[in-house]
Amino acid sequence: MSSIPLLEGKNIHFQYGDEVIFDDFNFRIDKGDRVVLKGDSGSGKTTLFRLVLGFESLQHGDILFKGNSLKDPKTIRELRKNSAWLPQDLNIGTGSVNEVILFPFTFQAHKKSKPHQSKIKSTLLDLGLNPDEILQKSYSDLSTGQRQRVGLAISVMLNQPFILLDEPTSALDRESKSKAADLLLNQDERTVLSTSHDPFWVDRCDTVIDLSKRS
Amino acid sequence: MDIIQLSWFQLSIAFISLLIPAAILGYYKTGLNSKMLIATVRMTLQLIFVGYYLEYLFELDNAWINLTWIMVMVIVADFATIDRSELSRKKELLIPVFAATFLGIVLINFFFLELVIQLPELLEAQYAIPITGMVLGNCLRSNVIGINDFYYSLKENRERFQFFLSCGASRSEALYPFFQTALKKSANPTLASMATIGLVSLPGMMTGQILSGSSPMTAIQYQIMIMLAIFSGTILSVYLAIKLCNRTVFFENDMLDESILKN
Repeated sequence: MSSIPLLEGKNIHFQYGDEVIFDDFNFRIDKGDRVVLKGDSGSGKTTLFRLVLGFESLQHGDILFKGNSLKDPKTIRELRKNSAWLPQDLNIGTGSVNEVILFPFTFQAHKKSKPHQSKIKSTLLDLGLNPDEILQKSYSDLSTGQRQRVGLAISVMLNQPFILLDEPTSALDRESKSKAADLLLNQDERTVLSTSHDPFWVDRCDTVIDLSKRS
Repeated sequence: MDIIQLSWFQLSIAFISLLIPAAILGYYKTGLNSKMLIATVRMTLQLIFVGYYLEYLFELDNAWINLTWIMVMVIVADFATIDRSELSRKKELLIPVFAATFLGIVLINFFFLELVIQLPELLEAQYAIPITGMVLGNCLRSNVIGINDFYYSLKENRERFQFFLSCGASRSEALYPFFQTALKKSANPTLASMATIGLVSLPGMMTGQILSGSSPMTAIQYQIMIMLAIFSGTILSVYLAIKLCNRTVFFENDMLDESILKN
């Protein structure tokens, strides 16, 4: 265990209106950890993602990324440059699937790592999608399962050191789950923070944080 | 060819034509007749006021007074843009939209009045006021479409915007697709009218010029110029309005301050 954790929550308090989601909650995630958050609906799994990514602000306490507070916008940007998040609603782009996949690679942070078409095709194939059929299709016409695979493919190709996945296998078949887990969890350097109700995924992670038991 | 002067009595006959829409809208219980009445009264009174004011303005033809009048038009357009875009009247929006519209109008006026028409006096009332009015009216329409689409689409697709940010996009990179759509939507009405002008419709300015005795060729030259001014002006003002508003309506963590939205 390194001395400075990748991510550390200290006495965090967060509430929406009168509804308290986190009260004096602490957590620690080290580099290379594969963490899965468990808990009932409304237990704060997605909220924790949003807090970590700086989309919501804490009322009390602090979250540190590599020892620096996320209260500082510079730290938020630094974290985001090193992360990739797959949201549960999968509303991640418009246009053709190819355009949706390539759009993040127009960002300054990823311009140099724009993947070749061969890499895109092989990643899609790994996740059980036929690239020749799907790449020119409109993203909005895809099924939930297909969208999830496209989102996972983007997460794989961005090759970020810290990825956040919200229910990454909820719409996948057994074979695709296994491939997704191989692609995303089998890298020692990568830290994964995920939410999942899927025992297959939970078993492949090494740390479980049960949010329903935190109080 | 002299223009036939309309008497106020003749003009009042024109209002009889409203009986047709009133009957149709009334039959289908659209509830629009009272709105039609208010809009007609407002339109008539506003134009009578402007008519008197412009006569006075043309007589004086003082650059500072003309500039003040343009400022008044821009301020009215500013409030109308915010209201019709269904945004809150907050200084974070009013100031940037005013600045964007004013800057857009100044640049377009300077280009067309100084370089194209080559007026001896830049703010000569006979040219500056009607051209500003036409460009401004269209800027207002485009700004409403563009600004409304941009901020409401950002709210509806909040997770998409956040997904881009979470993948390392800067705020402007993450906003790029929203900007693209807003620009397309605001440009489309003007592009459509440019594509059909003369075939489907004779525009108001050209009709007015012909009615007041100008040759059709002079009228179309001015019409072509005004269409170019409108298109350039609208795109410039939508671009500037969104760019300038974006400097004030986001929190430090790149989240939109959704209190600017009325709905």
